Amino acid sequence: MIRLPYYPGCAVQTTARNYAISGIAVAEKLGVELVELPKWNCCGVFPSLATDDLMRHLAPIRNLIHVQEMNDSGVVQNENRVVTFCSMCFHTLKEASLFVKDEEKLGKINTFFEREKEFVGGVKQGYKGGIKALDFLEVLRDIIGYEKIAKEVKKPLKGLKVAPYYGCLVIRPREIGIDDPENPTILENILEALGAEIINNPNRTQCCGSYHTIDRKDIVAKLTYDNLIYPIRNGAEVVVTCCPLCTFNLDFRQKEARELHRDLKEIPVMYYTQLMAIAFELDKQFYGVDLELHHVDPRPLLKAKNLY
Amino acid sequence: MEIKQKKEKKEEIVRIYIMGREYKVPAGLTIMKAMEYAGYRFIRGCGCRGGFCGGCATVYRVKGDYKLRMALACQKTVEDGMYTSQIPFTPAEKPIYNLEELSPSVNVFLEYYPEIAKCVSCNTCTKACPQDLEVMDYVQAAIRGDIQEVAELSFDCIMCGLCAMRCPTEIVPYNVALLARRLYGKYVMPKAKHVEERIKEIESGKFDEEIRRLKETSMNNLKEMYEKREIEPE
Amino acid sequence: MSKIKIVRGYPEYMRESIEAVEKTRDGRLKETFPHMSLEERDEILHKFHPDYKKEAKRPVKVGPNKGDLMPHEVADLLEAHPLIKPEDVDLSKADFDVDVLIIGGGGAGMTAALWANYSGVDAENILVVQKLRLGDSNSIMSQGGIQAADKSNDSPVLHYLDVIGGGHFTNDPKLARRLVLDAPLIIKWHEELGVMYDRETDGTMITIHGGGTCRKRMHSARDYTGLEIVRNLKDEVLNKNIPILEFTSAVELLTDEHKQVAGAVLYNMETQEYYVVKAKSTILTTGGFGRLHIQEFPTTNHYGATADGIVLAYRVGAKLRDLDAVQYHPTGAAYPEQIVGLLVTEKVRGLGAQPVNKNGEQFVYPREPRDVEASAIIRECYERNNGVETPTGMKGVWLDSPMIDILHGEGTIVKKLPAMLRQYKRFDIDMTQDPILVFPTLHFQNGGVIINENAETTVQGLLAAGEVTGGTHGKNRLMGNSILDYSVFGRIAGVTAAKRAKNAKIGKLTLNHVTKYEKMLKEADVTTDRKAPILLPEYRGEKVLSRALDIF
Repeated sequence: MIRLPYYPGCAVQTTARNYAISGIAVAEKLGVELVELPKWNCCGVFPSLATDDLMRHLAPIRNLIHVQEMNDSGVVQNENRVVTFCSMCFHTLKEASLFVKDEEKLGKINTFFEREKEFVGGVKQGYKGGIKALDFLEVLRDIIGYEKIAKEVKKPLKGLKVAPYYGCLVIRPREIGIDDPENPTILENILEALGAEIINNPNRTQCCGSYHTIDRKDIVAKLTYDNLIYPIRNGAEVVVTCCPLCTFNLDFRQKEARELHRDLKEIPVMYYTQLMAIAFELDKQFYGVDLELHHVDPRPLLKAKNLY
Repeated sequence: MEIKQKKEKKEEIVRIYIMGREYKVPAGLTIMKAMEYAGYRFIRGCGCRGGFCGGCATVYRVKGDYKLRMALACQKTVEDGMYTSQIPFTPAEKPIYNLEELSPSVNVFLEYYPEIAKCVSCNTCTKACPQDLEVMDYVQAAIRGDIQEVAELSFDCIMCGLCAMRCPTEIVPYNVALLARRLYGKYVMPKAKHVEERIKEIESGKFDEEIRRLKETSMNNLKEMYEKREIEPE
Repeated sequence: MSKIKIVRGYPEYMRESIEAVEKTRDGRLKETFPHMSLEERDEILHKFHPDYKKEAKRPVKVGPNKGDLMPHEVADLLEAHPLIKPEDVDLSKADFDVDVLIIGGGGAGMTAALWANYSGVDAENILVVQKLRLGDSNSIMSQGGIQAADKSNDSPVLHYLDVIGGGHFTNDPKLARRLVLDAPLIIKWHEELGVMYDRETDGTMITIHGGGTCRKRMHSARDYTGLEIVRNLKDEVLNKNIPILEFTSAVELLTDEHKQVAGAVLYNMETQEYYVVKAKSTILTTGGFGRLHIQEFPTTNHYGATADGIVLAYRVGAKLRDLDAVQYHPTGAAYPEQIVGLLVTEKVRGLGAQPVNKNGEQFVYPREPRDVEASAIIRECYERNNGVETPTGMKGVWLDSPMIDILHGEGTIVKKLPAMLRQYKRFDIDMTQDPILVFPTLHFQNGGVIINENAETTVQGLLAAGEVTGGTHGKNRLMGNSILDYSVFGRIAGVTAAKRAKNAKIGKLTLNHVTKYEKMLKEADVTTDRKAPILLPEYRGEKVLSRALDIF
């Protein structure tokens, strides 16, 4: 069993619980124990909307310091990696870790953390650098490998027509991305290992509308329509995602999208980890489909395909 | 027998600056007692005098040190060269809610205190807390809707206001925590069934007769019953 | 003067005695000092309790309790001139005309306000007047807990017996009965408000012993029980939009031609402006008198505990009782100097810490009723000379706090006594490792304004609840019965006040009782320039006071 520090973030603790529940179970099946940071805070995506270049990095760097502390306290040994499920968290943590490769910037941030030694609840050291943020997709591809995934499949997803959707956070910009920004293949490779039928989705790297979902639902509804209509026309039965925000927009905004375009059929949206849990025939609780977190319920489709 | 709980002794003197004005006061006094010694009579900025009410929030610097520090005036001993100023009131928004109509949902904090999402995790609130609470950690727990974590981390909060005064993103942590504790106490903690049962027994008059008899019995009887009552062992 | 060397919070010379305490600890873990019999209690109280010191009291010269013995500090307030003269204030127009006026915004006041509201009085027809901030009170400082006989091995009858015995059989039985019968109801109401009482995972309340209890019935919320309850009450009062006037004192009650209480004259402490309040029901919830420093004792009380309510009630003719009985909490901090007199909660003994003398020997059962326990500590320090003297000349005995973690497991103090731990940590003392030094401190006003079961005083229109009242506890209150007292009678006062407000008719506002009181003072030959109520204690330095000019 490999023990990897694991940073949850707020989404997979709440609205995207199905992502983490399935993902943690899948990882364990594949020999990876995800060890939650004893202490963690917001990845830093909210403050990253601010213009100040220092303050916005405090949150992600503080999380990286907590990974250092896990090593110091012996929770993990010599482990400079930290895993996330949420693409947003991954992106924010990795961006910050690259930002402070510049010694001067790191020094500036560490003067802030230096003072925390003095008070209860403060971190006891600055950031030393070198912690790598990994998206769970990278763990599957680089640490576990597709072959091992294929070996664990008990119930191949034969005949399930799946369209992958990446969004932007795990592939752009190139320095942060984990795959080819124009032509990523990780999701396809995993789905292939699970035995699913892969449906071409020309919009799989398009924008989902992101946080406009709060104040400009109309924009997101339009994008959701564009992002779903092609895979549906190509015959997809389910769209597979790797990001809680993309998932929310593709799933929940179908309601608003259908008000714009009557021709949009309902299509379930699921995390790749959920499909893995199903193909591995894990206990049903790990499928994460009974948690009332889906707008379009995937269970009728799964039942029809004898997968649930 | 004379109870004498004091000894006259020569006092060491320190200089402090109360809102910038220099005073000489005996060493060893708390900031609060030093201000009184100097001639201040509090109307505000003084409550329980024992570290429970949060009414005497104080900021100070010590000469030669750039750091701004926070304390309760009733709990902090004066130091030579200390500049102090009290913050007797913290302007803060406290939304009105009916607890009966709320539920302990993950979004309840973002609904009533949306500004918590602005937390940059700078930990300045934690540094400001005179109770040494992990304030930023409970604000972060509130963002992710973890009511139990907020309630437990914030339990010792005396609501002095210093965290809110120091927050660069204008969050009022102590009010967020208050909502969390009330929701936790009301909805999440398991109810005590034995309390409910005893209330029913009392309402049915189960103990009335026995208490009436105690009220009417002779003093000697009462004393005897008291002395003979069985004490539950440790 | 040479500087005293401090080792882990204590002067080096005190460490020798701490070593003696450590040496006897193992033996003491196995045996507890025996209880006193009623006769032994009586004897030690007469010899050592400060209440029995004759020269500390005098008969009061005026008013409904003329001739009753009271501490000089209380008699001084009753034999004092009112702060205002009738001609100073214009009573022809009321600034506030309300159904229920509540004087005092601590636990009793807020409970009364909420229950008046629950009983049908609209929030805008209630007014809470508070000298400091809403909630600043002794209520917020209470640490140990609240008694309620709600477990199966317990009963209100046993609770009643404890209350009466603890009060040396001097209590008003009707009030004691109400206190114990309403206790479980209060716990349930608190649960509904969201009070985080310590519970087992199945919801069973975690309860412990207090001094003088025969069953473990002390409910607590760590050692911030009062804080936790007051936070909830305060938030609820704010949520109900009940009007509050902070930093405002009542300086005199008002009456009308029917000799009933009809409101009060208020005084804005900051602007020095007065307000006239007309009220159908007036509730006194002003708390106790710790800040009078009776017999020069330090006190655990909050800044505003200056007996204002007793003075106001007495002037309109309300009868008082048991004011000669002062509660000295056995364990006030005796070291370090900065926190002398502050409370060391009885929960410390409830969890098993024993009081021991300078040689590490037990000398008293750890949980006698408070007055008995306090007397035993005074005897140990002054008659037997077995106390430990601090650098400022205080004497005290050790409370062997490290026993708690030994008895209940490491981390118990951290979890159950965070306030105490923090209090001492601030002065570099670690009570999980070292004992703490204690001596009795002025804690509670056992007596006060006489009330009946409906929280009504002997004067029409005036109700009272909480520490300002007398009778419930007789001459000695047990631990955990003060939160209970202000909750039970605060609730009853709110309900009764709401009922009364429906039918009461208030006539013309007067201060005739003030004129009458002045006449009584004159007839009794009281010549003094004292004025009362005093509103806040005077702690300014002597030098400043001696040179102060009243010209601005």
